[in-house]
Amino acid sequence: MIKVVIFIVTVVITVAMIPLALAATARSMSTKKPRIHFVQDMDNQPKFRAQHSNDLFLDGRAMRPPVAGTVARGNLKEDSHYNLGVVNDAWATTFPAQVRVDMDLLQRGRARFNIYCTPCHGYAGYGDGMVNKRAQEILENSDPAVVKGSTWVQPKSLHEQLISEQPIGQLFNTITNGVRTMSGYAAQIPLADRWAIVAYVKALQKSQDANLNDLPADQRRDLPTIKLFKEPN
Amino acid sequence: MPSVGILGAAAPVYAFFLVSYGFSPIATDVGYQPEQPVPYSHRIHVGQLGIDCRYCHNTVEVAAKAAIPPTQTCMNCHTQVYKESINLTALFDSYATGMPVKWKRVHDLPDYAYFNHSAHVNRGVSCVECHGRVDKMEEIKQEKPLNMGWCLDCHRKPQGRVRDPLTVTDLGWRFEDDSAAKAQFKTFEDYSEFWLKHNNISPSQDCSTCHR
Ligand code: HEC
Ligand code: HEC
Ligand code: HEC
Ligand code: HEC
Ligand code: HEC
Ligand code: HEC
Repeated sequence: MIKVVIFIVTVVITVAMIPLALAATARSMSTKKPRIHFVQDMDNQPKFRAQHSNDLFLDGRAMRPPVAGTVARGNLKEDSHYNLGVVNDAWATTFPAQVRVDMDLLQRGRARFNIYCTPCHGYAGYGDGMVNKRAQEILENSDPAVVKGSTWVQPKSLHEQLISEQPIGQLFNTITNGVRTMSGYAAQIPLADRWAIVAYVKALQKSQDANLNDLPADQRRDLPTIKLFKEPN
Repeated sequence: MPSVGILGAAAPVYAFFLVSYGFSPIATDVGYQPEQPVPYSHRIHVGQLGIDCRYCHNTVEVAAKAAIPPTQTCMNCHTQVYKESINLTALFDSYATGMPVKWKRVHDLPDYAYFNHSAHVNRGVSCVECHGRVDKMEEIKQEKPLNMGWCLDCHRKPQGRVRDPLTVTDLGWRFEDDSAAKAQFKTFEDYSEFWLKHNNISPSQDCSTCHR
């Protein structure tokens, strides 16, 4: 009799360990399978949310792309200076009235440049960003299994004379619509931020081509120790 | 039969322990790491190439959603890099047909709970607080339980969990390594306290904040 009881108790305890072990695994391991959802509550409501799918439409998208040939209210781009960087069919050479060029704009432009442009053009704009470095490395390899069909056009240095002399409207257009192998960034960067980047790039170009005479006289004093600047000619 | 009595007494304790241990969100939700249609790696793109989160999740500062990037964002580079890689087949198909890549959702709150990225990111709560070291993940994995108690823990006591909003996407940021911050503040607590005051942060605990 006592043996039977011990046997049953042992079995119960052993069986009771199994769920604990399963729980411990679940707590410590990652899983590819979605969580088991016993109680649904109102966790998954039949409403459609951004970036979810929707069976109502053939393409399954809950976010509907705009109908071809239509313009949403308020999105008609009438001001060609602000929206396209074009004045009287030529590249704008001034900033549009909506953009106030001040320190805040430059700071904003720097932050945005560092997010969207540095992977390719590098922090100082010489076309030597990390993606460029890695792409060059891949191309140097002769094994097709490593190259995997890669090609690469080196991002332009923003300090080339042909580029630093471009009117700001053209620079704005490069960011908006891209140029040759560089894609446009209109979808990723809002309009106002694109102008901020333009302002910052202009400042960056100037900073890399500065002359001691560009500084106000009272600030030149400390400079000879800093070798970044060209000697005045 | 004393042993049966002991078993009987142990059963409720056992059941309670099992439910709180095995059905807590740490067991059921944390660690979810689905296989994605493209073996996209944050470790390569963020950790090695140094691309900022906002290059791809570009709405995170202005909207509730962080937004998974559209195919075009990937093609900024992959029209050239690895353009014959079999790993990228689903991406190229999507580019050719215009149909989005079917990424699997990893972090998913119940639909009755409201969350807003911009409210956190702009106040200096870093991605790392809620998503872990994404820059070291080959595949995205849910690291935090995302249950109500977890949200409230921070809303009750945000001390030590906010910093300069300009550094939120720098997941490896540490006070000890930031010489500019260390020149001004003795400890991380002082530093965090400064940003709490500076940005006037007091996270709300009203039910209607998250259930609207
Ligand atoms: C994915 C890499 C990449 C990124 C990111 C990138 N560019 Fe480029 N960019 C290029 C390449 C490549 C070229 C050279 C294109 C060519 O010559 O075919 C280029 C060229 C340019 C040029 C020269 C245009 C001309 O007229 O020759 C400018 C100006 C420029 N980029 C600005 C920017 C700015 C500003 C940003 C950030 C908003 C940016 N780029 C982001 C790759 C990139
Ligand atoms: C080159 C583009 C790119 C960059 C840069 C990037 N991500 Fe992502 N991210 C993606 C893509 C694509 C997905 C969807 C696939 C996946 O889940 O792996 C994703 C998914 C995620 C998810 C999971 C979303 C879900 O389904 O729950 C998180 C969290 C995330 N990213 C955080 C970050 C953080 C934090 C950074 C910056 C440190 C970052 N990402 C940088 C492209 C990017
Ligand atoms: C700014 C440039 C850039 C962007 C944007 C980018 N990638 Fe990449 N990607 C690279 C580079 C460079 C490599 C090669 C890295 C290496 O091998 O070290 C790479 C590698 C990869 C690989 C590995 C492929 C293989 O065969 O090993 C995958 C998969 C990938 N990327 C997917 C994506 C997806 C999906 C997106 C969009 C969310 C994306 N990438 C956006 C630059 C980029
Ligand atoms: C306070 C916590 C918190 C912070 C900080 C945070 N996230 Fe999230 N993130 C979440 C939650 C919660 C979800 C799930 C949202 C849902 O299901 O609606 C999420 C979802 C996501 C997604 C999936 C798409 C979406 O919006 O649902 C991405 C991508 C993402 N986060 C990226 C980021 C990036 C990048 C950062 C930093 C710039 C960041 N998150 C900061 C909590 C956070
Ligand atoms: C690491 C800390 C932290 C975590 C975790 C966190 N929050 Fe917050 N939350 C904050 C801070 C800080 C604010 C900003 C408060 C302020 O602006 O005064 C905030 C604000 C919010 C707001 C905006 C309130 C408003 O006034 O619009 C919502 C909504 C919110 N949180 C929801 C959530 C939800 C849902 C979760 C859990 C998934 C969560 N939070 C997790 C720190 C956190
Ligand atoms: C900081 C954000 C936040 C606040 C404030 C908040 N909740 Fe929640 N609540 C959540 C989230 C997130 C969930 C979803 C948790 C999950 O995934 O299980 C949730 C879930 C719930 C649930 C469902 C729980 C379940 O498991 O079915 C109830 C009920 C609830 N909340 C009630 C309240 C009440 C009452 C208040 C006010 C006292 C409140 N909440 C305040 C974020 C919040």
